[in-house]
Amino acid sequence: MTAKDLVLESAADRTTRFERDALIFTDQLYSAALRYTKNPEDARDLVQDTYLKAFTSFHQFEEGTNLRAWLYRVLTTTFINSYRKKQRQPLISNNEIEDWQVAKAQSHTSDQGKSAEVEALEALPDSDIKRALQELPEDFRMVVYFADVEGFAYKEIAEILGVPAGTVMSRLHRGRKQLREKLTDYARELGYETASKSDSSDEGSAQ
Amino acid sequence: MSYIEIQCNDVLSSVIFIVEEQMHELDQASQIEAHLLSCLACQAEVAHERAMHDLLQQSLRRTCTDRAPEDLHEAIHRRLYTEITGTTEVVTQFSMTEISIEIDEFGNIEHREIQIEQTHIQHFIDQDPEK
Repeated sequence: MTAKDLVLESAADRTTRFERDALIFTDQLYSAALRYTKNPEDARDLVQDTYLKAFTSFHQFEEGTNLRAWLYRVLTTTFINSYRKKQRQPLISNNEIEDWQVAKAQSHTSDQGKSAEVEALEALPDSDIKRALQELPEDFRMVVYFADVEGFAYKEIAEILGVPAGTVMSRLHRGRKQLREKLTDYARELGYETASKSDSSDEGSAQ
Repeated sequence: MSYIEIQCNDVLSSVIFIVEEQMHELDQASQIEAHLLSCLACQAEVAHERAMHDLLQQSLRRTCTDRAPEDLHEAIHRRLYTEITGTTEVVTQFSMTEISIEIDEFGNIEHREIQIEQTHIQHFIDQDPEK
């Protein structure tokens, strides 16, 4: 075997291995890319750039660890480095307290409020649910997406996003809360009676 | 440490940890559990939060099922091959140096020869991606 053959073979092998193991996640990465970029053209480019970057740094990936999570990490850094600059995203400002305890002012909701909320959510069309998620600030949106759609544990999400686990928990809590508030608003626009707010007068000030 | 009874508020503000089954992360885990055993209102609240969480998760999973456009798979495949073929220009360089010195029994150099051979081989790999 000549040197040329060796070089050719290893490059081809590496590509084959990468294509076999990594490209099966294209649909999933595209879906996540859509949450990041909010439009199909950018999502498409982001997935391509992600795979290219993942391919050139594939040697850094530790065999036996979670390839899917690693790819999402690459997707996230690629987005931050090259796409976010182009987009004006409402981000959580740095000085805002990222503590789950901000949710302190809570009170019990009435049974009526509970069943109204469930009913409203069940009645909403899928397009409204999708829209509500897209309207969340990016930091909340992606944590909710990774946890509730992709099913990552919050410690894995912390690694994907490069933030502390406590921050993930806080964003997850607040993101879901905002999402539910949006969905309640949509339902009200559709004419559903959502009594969840009427029974707790102190709830209005918490936002 | 004395036992401090906690309020409904403490339970409600920790509900994310209960829903996510991460109670062990909380300092007040045992007090919260004790409170939950006796407080019907909090039990109902936790049950509602769990139900809403499940419902929301189902809705999100149902709606976020975007598939990549058909041609994206092919585009990625092509770009990966362009990446390898575009950048792997292999340059191999062999060099051989032969030095021979002959010295006689008195230490005088009689013959000296230095030979250097160099070979440059360049492989431009251009595989057909369709192959």
